[in-house]
Amino acid sequence: MKLNKKVLKKLLSMVPMTHEGEIGCDECFDELNEFAEMELLGKSPEKAMPLVREHLDKCGECRQEYQALLDAMKVLDFK
Amino acid sequence: MLNWFKRRGSQRNSYSTNEEWINGLKPPPDANAIEQLREHLIKGLKASLYKYVQRDLDDFVEDIAQDSILKILDKYDTFRGESKFTTWAMKVSVREAYSELRKKRYKDISLEQHSQFDPDEKEAVEIEHDQPGPDQLTHESMVVQKVMKIMEEELTEKQQKVLQLLMIDQVPMTVVSEMMDSNRNAIYKLVHDARLKLKNRMEVEGMDPEEILEQM
Repeated sequence: MKLNKKVLKKLLSMVPMTHEGEIGCDECFDELNEFAEMELLGKSPEKAMPLVREHLDKCGECRQEYQALLDAMKVLDFK
Repeated sequence: MLNWFKRRGSQRNSYSTNEEWINGLKPPPDANAIEQLREHLIKGLKASLYKYVQRDLDDFVEDIAQDSILKILDKYDTFRGESKFTTWAMKVSVREAYSELRKKRYKDISLEQHSQFDPDEKEAVEIEHDQPGPDQLTHESMVVQKVMKIMEEELTEKQQKVLQLLMIDQVPMTVVSEMMDSNRNAIYKLVHDARLKLKNRMEVEGMDPEEILEQM
């Protein structure tokens, strides 16, 4: 395995916030529609679903899809 | 396209409530429900993709909408009703679009990279079993070597390979999942377990990741 300093720094920075109770991409995906609607309704989904928020902060691909979902919902006049 | 479903009459029904959507999509699906869903997905997909797809956006979006509809028809009964049905359907479609986009991008990039020099390569450090004596190392490089040794000892070959692909080769997780004949959730969990192993071992060794980061 090859590592460089940049990668090692990135990995080490994720270590302190690692814990057993984290959810994966599937569990995040299951909740994403509800989470997005709450956000657009100003209902603070991060309080109701903190593990989803945490996963979105850690997983770039889920975060990108979440942002895309919000973009789509905005143009579809979600209310 | 999608002409295998049965029509339920020529009158164009309107779909707005979750119940109407579910009734419209249950077998045999209503052609009007399919068409309204397609229009909905296309509008949403265009808004969420135009920043990333410069060429042939209409064709790409049309293909994704069709693939998404097949997926939605296949699993609409897993919709639990905790949001609007259209939000759930859009979520399915967005994931389909971005998965496809990542695979396409990676294919294009990897073809380009075959003839290019990797600028990170010169900074890369192999984990070595025979390490130089402590007097030859700076404090920083000793710490780096120690963390690398821990990783080599604690992580499985598969975990090391996945970390290599994700963090060093910059391969998207969607593509890594395919390469490893796995799925994104399993790859994320595998990396999470690797982080957890690293955390636990560092605790045992009395190493503080934040302190190390400050020294680097």
